[in-house]
Order: sequence, then C-alpha cells, then structure tokens
Amino acid sequence: DASAGESTAPPASVCILVDSRCLSASVDLMTSLRQRHAAAVHVCSLDGSYFIVSNRTAVERHSQSDLAAQQNRKRLVERVRGLQRLFERVCLIVEKDRTKPGEAARPFQRTRYYDNTLAALVRSGVRLLWSDGTEQSAGLLADLARLEQRKGQGISVPLEVKGQHREQALQLYLSLPSVSHVHALNMCHNFSSIAQLMNSSIEAIQKGGCMSPSRAEEVYRFLRYSCDTFLMKTS
Amino acid sequence: MENKPAALLNAVPPYGHVIASEKWRETTLIHNLKGGGVKILFESELSLTDFHLPNKSCILYVSECDIVAGNNYKRKLVRYRNASSSFQGLVLVERTRLSEQFFSAVQKFVVFDLGLTLLPVSGQTEASQLIAQIVHSGSRENPFRRSSSSQLLDPLVLAVVQQVPGVGRIKALALLQNFSSLQQLSSATISELEPVVGPAAARHIHSFFHKHAAAGT
Repeated sequence: DASAGESTAPPASVCILVDSRCLSASVDLMTSLRQRHAAAVHVCSLDGSYFIVSNRTAVERHSQSDLAAQQNRKRLVERVRGLQRLFERVCLIVEKDRTKPGEAARPFQRTRYYDNTLAALVRSGVRLLWSDGTEQSAGLLADLARLEQRKGQGISVPLEVKGQHREQALQLYLSLPSVSHVHALNMCHNFSSIAQLMNSSIEAIQKGGCMSPSRAEEVYRFLRYSCDTFLMKTS
Repeated sequence: MENKPAALLNAVPPYGHVIASEKWRETTLIHNLKGGGVKILFESELSLTDFHLPNKSCILYVSECDIVAGNNYKRKLVRYRNASSSFQGLVLVERTRLSEQFFSAVQKFVVFDLGLTLLPVSGQTEASQLIAQIVHSGSRENPFRRSSSSQLLDPLVLAVVQQVPGVGRIKALALLQNFSSLQQLSSATISELEPVVGPAAARHIHSFFHKHAAAGT
C-alpha cells in the first residue's frame, strides 16, 4: 500500500457520472467537483438520482431528515435495492439539513426509527458518509473517486459515446439486466461490436465491462438464455 | 494467558445480548442499554473492542475526549481494524461541539483509510439507543438486504432485441422464435435472417450487431 507516498504527487483527475435529475439540486456541488476538486463530471441519464464514482460504486445523497422520515422508507428501500443490484458498493452521503438564511439551526431529533434505519443500512453493507453540506459532500465524492482510482477501480473510459450507432449500442447494453451505466460505457469502448460482446467468454466480459466475475457470469448466461416465445406471446 | 484475548475476539453473544468490556460497567451507556431491554455480559479480556454484538459485529467507541486530546485513538483504531477482520467493525464517534472541528479528519481516517463503518453519536445516551436498535434489528428481517429475486428472463431478452433499431415487438418475437438466445441472434448470417424479417431488415440487423462500435479508434 503506497498511499502515503502518493500524497505528495498532485491528485490525479477523477471521473464522476451524475444523473441529470441531480442537476437542479446539485449545481453548487457540481461546480465544486469541477473547480475545487478538478473532477471530470459527466451528466447522463441514470435510472435514479445518484452518482457513479467508479466501476463498482454508486453514491446517493440524502438529508438526515429524509432518512428519519417514516413515509420515505418504501422509496429508500427500493432505491437501495436497485443500486445494490447494479453496483458492488453503495454509499449514502447523509447530509445535515440545510437551514434557510437567518433561520436558527434546529437540532436534529434522533428517533428510534432513524436508528433502526441506520442499523439496517449498515447491516446490509451500505456505506455511510456524513456531511455538513454541499461543499463537504463534493469533497467526499472526490475523495471516494480518488480512493477507488487508487484501487484500480476508477472509470478509465471516456465518459460519453459519440455517434448514433454507438449511442444505440449503449442503449442496448443498458437494457441488459444487472448492467449499470458505467458497465455499459465500458462495453461500448472495449468491444469492437455488439456481436463480439455477445460471443465473449465470461473472462472477456468481466475484463471489457470492468465488472465482477459474478456479474460477468450473469451477463454471459443471460446472453445465452434460451427464450420461450410461446410464453411471451401469451403474456 | 497469551492467546486468551484472541479467542475472545471471536465471541459472539446470543441474540438480545451484548458483550461489553469491563471498563464500561457503571456507565450511562450500559445503564440505558439495560433500560432498552438489552442484556449485558461483561468481559474483562475485551481489550481491543468495546462491545461485541450478535450478527458478528463489534463496536469501538471513540469519545469526545479521545478526539480532542488526540488520545492515541488512531492507534487504537488501527489495532481494532486489524483484530476485527472477521467482524463488521463499527466505530461510534462522539460528535459534539468540542470534537466537531476534528470530525471530518476522523471520518477520513476511519472510513477511507481503514474501511470501517462510522456512526456519529452525540454521547452515551444516543449511543445506547443506536446499539439497542442494532441488537434488536438483528433478529428481524432486513428490508435493505439484497434480494436474489429470480426474475423471469424471457421478457428481458425481448426488451433487448427491441433495442435494435427498426425492430418492434412483432419482429423481435419472430427473431427469437428462430434464434432463441441473444448470442445466437447476434451470430446469425444475413441469409439466415432473411426468411424471418425480409432482406432489408436482415441486412440492417446484421450490420447493427457487427458494425465497428468501439470508440476512440
């Protein structure tokens, strides 16, 4: 582990994908990521409002009161499960609630329900990060992306695809189950054609998609799954 | 005596119980835990961790005083991390007005450098409530746990085929009737595709699958 020695070198630029739905709520955060942390940020259409900081890690921001509200439970469960299907690692940045200018900061009332949510999240392997606000969240996202890059998991392909055919190929890869936007992006850049991916071995899919062996195997099996069209027609 | 602590490191308490280090006896935290229906087993040999919980997790408690006084807590954390490899290592950190300015640095060290889970608390009262929830929730079903739901794959395959430009539901079904998997479909020649979708679509589909797609070249 040479992380100590690396601290003297200028921090390498990191790549982060952001869902377009984050835009309106995260303008300051994006500005900070780009300007203060020199991150390459690309806005795309993900299946939820989250960030992708590496080949295996997704990050979602939640306010503390968001986690503490019982009526949000169902949505939170769906979001976390959805992310866990697509990513090996799921992080939640828990942000302190913002106060309006001139308003006194109200102390957060910690409830049993909130503690129960935290306990369940931790037990399911979700990583929690704590933030005071936008500026700190940007720092955490950049730190996380940098850490993943050091571990060889950073996003290393161009963050966008150009041209109609490549765009269509990306959409096809995205429709494969358990394939996240970053996996699809890797496939777009690493396989010479769709047919090449579809005829690849598990190892080649793992390498080209920059994904875990089990995910690669799932994709491999899906591509060879024999459909029963009779069942589909009746449904 | 040399290897006794090592054996104790792997001790997992029964449900509803917590194994606590002897030094916590007579504290607010323990008092509140008991009040919250958690049973306590004290253990004097617990040196690297403060609490062992059911479900193979353990807790190291970093107090305001540890942080502000720089009380060697970093070394304690490293030893804790190294000792708790087979456990889920949780770190409760007292985040107070006094320790606030150090919190960000503590979080970086605990989460990014050591890979442990950090949970901030304002003090022992909040800590006891959180620990009680962790203990009690251990016996309940976890809603966030990854579910290995076996989805029906056939409609998903159909959806992928419909991503091919110019292929709607009817053509996709016809294609899958003749080439049952995506791999077979992508390997089909133009002459094999022709009888199913006609010459123009056959050429189009074949070219879509085989067109050079890799960017940057």
